[in-house]
Amino acid sequence: METQASNKTLHGVLAEFRNPKELLNAAETVNKNGYTDYDTFSPFPIHGMDKAMSLKKSKLGWIVFGHGLFGFFGGLAMITFMSVIDYPLNISGKTLWNVPAWIPVLFELTILFSAFGAVFGMFWLNGLPRFNHPLFNSERFKRATDDGFFLCIEASDPQFETEKVGQLLKNAGASAIEEVYDEEDEA
Amino acid sequence: MSKTYEYVHEPTLVKGDHDFKSITALITDINLRPTPKAWYAAFGVANLLLLVMLVSIAYLIWEGTGIWGLNTPANWGWAIVNFVWWVGIGHAGTLISAILFLFRQNWRTAINRFAEAMTIFAVMCAGIFPAIHVGRIWVIYWVFPLPNQMAMWPNFTSPLLWDVFAVGTYFTVSTLFWYVGLVPDLATVRDRIKNGIGKKLYGIFSLGWRGSNRQWWTYEKSYMILAGLATPLVLSVHSVVSFDFAVSVIPGWHTTIFPPYFVAGAIFSGFAMVLTLMIICRKIYKLEEIMTIDHMEKMNIILLVTGMMVGFAYLMEVFIAWYGGVEYEKAIFALRASGPYAWAYWLMIGCNVLSPQFFWVKKFRRHIGLTFVISIIVNIGMWFERFVIAVTSLSTDFLPSSWGYYTPTLWDVLTYVGTFGLFFTFFLLFLRFLPMVAVAEVKNVMPQADPHNYDEEGNYIAPKVEVPEPKRES
Amino acid sequence: MATDSPKLTDSVEFPSELNVTKVLFGVGTAGLIASGVGYFLNHEQFFFSWLTSFNYFTSIALGALLLVMIHHITRSSWGVVIRRIIESFSSNLWLWAIFFIPVIIGMTTLYSWTDPSYYIDDPIVAGKQPYLNEPFYIVRAILYFAIWGWLGYKLHKVSIEMDRTNDWGLTTLLRKISAPGILIVALTLAFASFDWLMSLDAHWFSTMFGVYYFAMGFQALFAVLILLAFWLRRRGVLENTISQSHIHDLGSWFWAFTIFYAYIAFSQFLLIYYANISEEVLWFYHRMEGSWIFIGYTLIIGRFLIPFLLLINRDSKHNKKLLTISAVLVLIVHFLEMYWIAMPALHSQGISFSWMDVTTMIGLGGIFLGLFFRTYAKNNLVPVNDPKLSDSLAKSYHQ
Repeated sequence: METQASNKTLHGVLAEFRNPKELLNAAETVNKNGYTDYDTFSPFPIHGMDKAMSLKKSKLGWIVFGHGLFGFFGGLAMITFMSVIDYPLNISGKTLWNVPAWIPVLFELTILFSAFGAVFGMFWLNGLPRFNHPLFNSERFKRATDDGFFLCIEASDPQFETEKVGQLLKNAGASAIEEVYDEEDEA
Repeated sequence: MSKTYEYVHEPTLVKGDHDFKSITALITDINLRPTPKAWYAAFGVANLLLLVMLVSIAYLIWEGTGIWGLNTPANWGWAIVNFVWWVGIGHAGTLISAILFLFRQNWRTAINRFAEAMTIFAVMCAGIFPAIHVGRIWVIYWVFPLPNQMAMWPNFTSPLLWDVFAVGTYFTVSTLFWYVGLVPDLATVRDRIKNGIGKKLYGIFSLGWRGSNRQWWTYEKSYMILAGLATPLVLSVHSVVSFDFAVSVIPGWHTTIFPPYFVAGAIFSGFAMVLTLMIICRKIYKLEEIMTIDHMEKMNIILLVTGMMVGFAYLMEVFIAWYGGVEYEKAIFALRASGPYAWAYWLMIGCNVLSPQFFWVKKFRRHIGLTFVISIIVNIGMWFERFVIAVTSLSTDFLPSSWGYYTPTLWDVLTYVGTFGLFFTFFLLFLRFLPMVAVAEVKNVMPQADPHNYDEEGNYIAPKVEVPEPKRES
Repeated sequence: MATDSPKLTDSVEFPSELNVTKVLFGVGTAGLIASGVGYFLNHEQFFFSWLTSFNYFTSIALGALLLVMIHHITRSSWGVVIRRIIESFSSNLWLWAIFFIPVIIGMTTLYSWTDPSYYIDDPIVAGKQPYLNEPFYIVRAILYFAIWGWLGYKLHKVSIEMDRTNDWGLTTLLRKISAPGILIVALTLAFASFDWLMSLDAHWFSTMFGVYYFAMGFQALFAVLILLAFWLRRRGVLENTISQSHIHDLGSWFWAFTIFYAYIAFSQFLLIYYANISEEVLWFYHRMEGSWIFIGYTLIIGRFLIPFLLLINRDSKHNKKLLTISAVLVLIVHFLEMYWIAMPALHSQGISFSWMDVTTMIGLGGIFLGLFFRTYAKNNLVPVNDPKLSDSLAKSYHQ
């Protein structure tokens, strides 16, 4: 047991709460106490949690906008090259720069790339995919995708002290508290 | 002024006495239970039909498009009708997930997953038809802007190429949207499943989702943006499909109302299809408390609205055909209503414009049997709408000496019937292995999810609406 | 929300010192008189200017009528706090019919199809006689205004009644009126647009034209609502009631219908441009000839590109400055578009602005807004007893 424990590093303290309201209040308390490396876990997004945690505005919008611009202007460049420069063809007597007729394709490319930006940008910002996480070692944490409401203060927080954090969460109304370890490979 | 009206309460979205845990169990247990025998039976039938489709396509590739009933002047027949029909059905899913999301119609959560899955499979069925219609399918890659030995590029001013981009983008974005919605629910199944291989697979596809609020934060933003992107996309796809017809100079095809009219028709048929499938599934999987009669009623209202939009477009077409004074245009509408295909035209009017009229009455909107019947009638009507458009305009074109009556062959029919096999094969797999209702989203719209609905001690208090006593004056 | 449902904190009475009705009526009357003088100087120009300005405001009022009904049938809560504004616009449609009279008087000047010598040699226009003839045109216009006027008036009246009686059952009545109402307005609006604008060129036709007319008016309506909301708030009216989240919703609708407008206008153009058949393409040809093309480009840039790009960011949908710029721009371009649709029938050689374009706009605009303020100021500024009011007030802006 002793040797095993030495292989483990503390990930953080996980506390469970009974309902969204208590979690919201707890997050507010933790935030007010100046912690930075903490997060709440719930089966669905809770309204007002962003304010309680003072989260910053997401950068995702700009990522999507950049991708959209790429889709539009990239598409424009491609069509111009193919239909005007490389192999000009007179089609129904219209000008080679038949822009109105290009709009559908340009529109679709803009949307396509913006959507790539929105989905893969979100994965990237969220650190996904990630196939393991110390929290998955907690049996209780499985309920975070069902009906559990959790808050975890991580050991990497500059203010982190196991005792103090545990007390804080208990005072905030946690119904259960446990320490979560990052298990390292025996090999 | 003596008549008084009753206030109609807004229905709650989830019926019965549910909490978060029971919702999770209600939906994901379907995936975790052993496979029912009936499922195997249904899957077997679907596979047989799929085989029919594969054989029909194989024979088509071997023999050529001559096996279909196409002949000059009607060079577009069932294949194009089926394409437009399937792609139209594929519009409801993204509409429900995107547009209703932006309009904050929370009732969408019960059916969006389901409808999105239907969308993706319907678009797959649709995509087959133009692909095999090209004749030489082995050079289908010419539709993509890839360098080739002829040093030629696709024609970017061709509506058929627009289709490639539109349907391709639509399929990709719908799938991504669907998958993004699935991630938190896959994590739910991952955390509940016992079995080894399943656990690994759900683990891989849920990408390590933890439901952390920092994740939800970006996730919600992403979902919102995707909805914002999918909304114009959904309008564009069927508009582009309508351009296939409308940029031509064929009478009956070239009319400016086509884009919005096709979009309305697509939503109409898509909702009908969702209703058909929903009425069956809610019964079989006992989801009546999530997919409620109130949902059905709301969808019936949308059916009525879009049906009227389609009716509006029919009227505009006929009126302007007369008003415009162009001989050919007038002739084609006269022929539609009284010519050799008049039966199809009146069938279309009956199914699409008349049958939804039942839904003006609340009692009918809430009648499951009637809704089921009408939802099927609507899809028959929408198939005939595309048939009327594609076939009447071509078979009686500018040159009366070449007029002919278009009839499909057995292979036309078999290919079409076979696509149902493809559709249901995928749909059954979806029902079996993926949560068919968006678990996280349903929880999110339950009153228990709102922190305001708890008192100081943290006890849940259900919100109540009290109707005030009206002050009645003489 | 069960525990702390928000209450209305602002006064729902229009501050009397703010009452601009008289000023607006004064300005409007002056504009009308000036335009009346114009009639004697150049009656052709007068009638065309009048028709342009009349459609400018009518399209907005019809947008308001549809929005009220959409609001009722969808039972939406976001807009309850601004619903009275929309209702006040559409409630005056029956009075607004008066201003259609000059169009009837000027019919023979405006519409070439009224002239027998014109269509005698033109079998196509002659074929339209069963529809395009003077008596039927007038009957139709009366019918349109009777329907719109009744709907607008009734919806407003019932809503006011609910303020007084606190009877929530009336929401059911409002929905019962709205459901068929939308259908009837959609149809009459389409035919009205055919009658009033499309038939200026007796040859041209487009099945989309009704939808196009709606798309223009609806977009412009949101521009008007945004500007009004800012104006009210700056004057301290409904300051805490119309919150940032309502502005955001208005901004989102405005942006969405900017895209919708572009979609409809572009589709109509693309189909006609692409097929390039003479019976249709001439309409666009005339509108891209000479200096008219400049307005054509202004429409794309001013009505779509600039508002689209300015408001694409989520935060800018409640940014006062950006919204104001976009709204003002759209309202200007809305005029240019009406002008671009109607005026080439008179000035086929190129743009030729007249002072009467301005006076009819001032005249009709003054009366239009005057009527609005008269109705709006007379009643509670928000539907105080609406079941959805507290939901609407509780809306807070996320992210």
